[in-house]
Amino acid sequence: MIALERVRARAGGFELHDITFAVPSGGWGVVIGPAGSGKTTLLETIAGLLPATAGRVIIHGEDHTRTPPEHRGLGIVYQHGYLFPHLSVRENIAYGAVDRATADDLASRFGVAALSDRSVASLSGGERQLVAAARALARRPKVLLLDEPFSALDPRSRIAARRALRALHAHRAFTVLQVTHDFSEAGSLGDLAMVLDGGRLVQQGPPEDVFRKPATPFIADFLGAENVFAGTVSDASTDDETAAVEFTTGALTFYAVGVQAGSTTHAVLRAEEVVLSTGMPATSMRNHFGGRIADIVFDGALAHVTVDVRGTPIVAAITARSARELALAEGHEVVVSFKATALHLC
Amino acid sequence: MRAVAGIAVAVVASLFLLFILGPVAGLVAAGGADGVRSLASDTELRSSLWLTALTATIATLLGVIGGTPIAYLLARRSFRGRALLAALMDLPLVIPHPVAGIALLLVLGRASAVGSVFYELGLRVVGSPAGIVCAMLFVSAPLYVSAAHEAFARVDARYESVARSLGDDAWRAFRRVTLPLAGRGLTAAALVMWARAVSEFGAIVILTYNSKVASVLSYDRFTSFGLHETLPVAAALVLLALIPLAAIRALRRADPLSR
Repeated sequence: MIALERVRARAGGFELHDITFAVPSGGWGVVIGPAGSGKTTLLETIAGLLPATAGRVIIHGEDHTRTPPEHRGLGIVYQHGYLFPHLSVRENIAYGAVDRATADDLASRFGVAALSDRSVASLSGGERQLVAAARALARRPKVLLLDEPFSALDPRSRIAARRALRALHAHRAFTVLQVTHDFSEAGSLGDLAMVLDGGRLVQQGPPEDVFRKPATPFIADFLGAENVFAGTVSDASTDDETAAVEFTTGALTFYAVGVQAGSTTHAVLRAEEVVLSTGMPATSMRNHFGGRIADIVFDGALAHVTVDVRGTPIVAAITARSARELALAEGHEVVVSFKATALHLC
Repeated sequence: MRAVAGIAVAVVASLFLLFILGPVAGLVAAGGADGVRSLASDTELRSSLWLTALTATIATLLGVIGGTPIAYLLARRSFRGRALLAALMDLPLVIPHPVAGIALLLVLGRASAVGSVFYELGLRVVGSPAGIVCAMLFVSAPLYVSAAHEAFARVDARYESVARSLGDDAWRAFRRVTLPLAGRGLTAAALVMWARAVSEFGAIVILTYNSKVASVLSYDRFTSFGLHETLPVAAALVLLALIPLAAIRALRRADPLSR
């Protein structure tokens, strides 16, 4: 378990402010945030490589705020690997290993056993990351801190590395805190997702909630929510905490369900929640708007369709196959639909 | 126009190079052979070179022992007064060396508090090889600290962080990771210090005229016997200085951080 209680830390002119969260034992926490938001500083503070200036760092129930890094029982894998250049690949993996067999096993699991006698200088960026992961795990840490550990790998190798890591995680049940820029990875891996910005934890919760219900327009934008609307809430019931409301943005009024947040707010609508049809559908969805297709971008199996609805662009993410079957093209008229519950007010 | 500018730069650079190399090459050409021959026959020159090498080595060892922690501190830690400490370490580089010798004489002379304590303990600094070591250490240690600082700064602190996360305490991480990675830079720094110590004259001549190190001997022969008698000593000193220079070049080629 990793728990931070109002932790503050300073790295140069940068500061972490009152960070509080808890990743359960054997859990997988994911930290996301823009560059310079303090993600690496957070990991280094947990690792004891940077001193916490306030608060407590709890690892597996024990207060390790003042414990030296070597006694915290954790491993850290940096994006750049930081393999020791004066040692061979084998010597790197064996550096802190509990025993030789574990080091060899990890080298095999991450597919770097054949590189054992090579010098570090001859490795590619991706190979370095694999060796760095094997090296950290060979110590059998109770907590693993990962800072973009597989970012330099090609997609196929990345999948294999993640699979190896997940298998080890399932087997050894260590606790993981991972920094990532890959939102799909964050959504699929984590028990807890945290968003850092400017050294502050601006949102945390189950990944599904963080992605579907971003706390602020900034988070929504950062997390890649395609539709973020500024507008006003009206017809809000004051009887219940959660109420049916109307959200007006530009010339459009959406039906939504949300907490009354004052007269001005934002609404977030993920593109995957938007349904396109060529005629008015008969569904339980409360929001239907006719519009004209302004743009279609195909991205592998997906198509991102931007529909101009009375001057307001609404993006829908549908499968490329659907786009072809509906014969969608720029300039065509379509109906945009989404449920009131798909609209998140923040 | 660009071609003319290029030619002008090349001419200026060549003249500058000639200005640096010309006197040294001329000296070696004029006295090099005699210098090598004198090593066999001139016992004063031989013992002077031996004294120079020995005192420079002792001074360098003391510089390494005292300067390495300071260089590491300057490279790794940020603390109040860091800039002041760095400036103070550079101070001996900007003081005229005879003045440095006078300053040392004030501190280490028999009349001073420190010097009198040494004297009571039977240690005579002024006028002895210990004085030569002190003078060499004072004027050349800043070069070591500066170059060692650079050597440590070139090693990313995160290598140490990783080593700590892999179970090393601070000292072990330093010994197993930082030292091997900075090792060549530190050795080069020590060689630079040694070479500077070997060539020191101004501070030594104030503290210890006798026994004579090679630089003092060359001065002594020049003032006593003239240029011709000085040439072998001077050429031998130049040849001695080439050893650390060649070693520094070889170390730079083998640096793991430059791969």
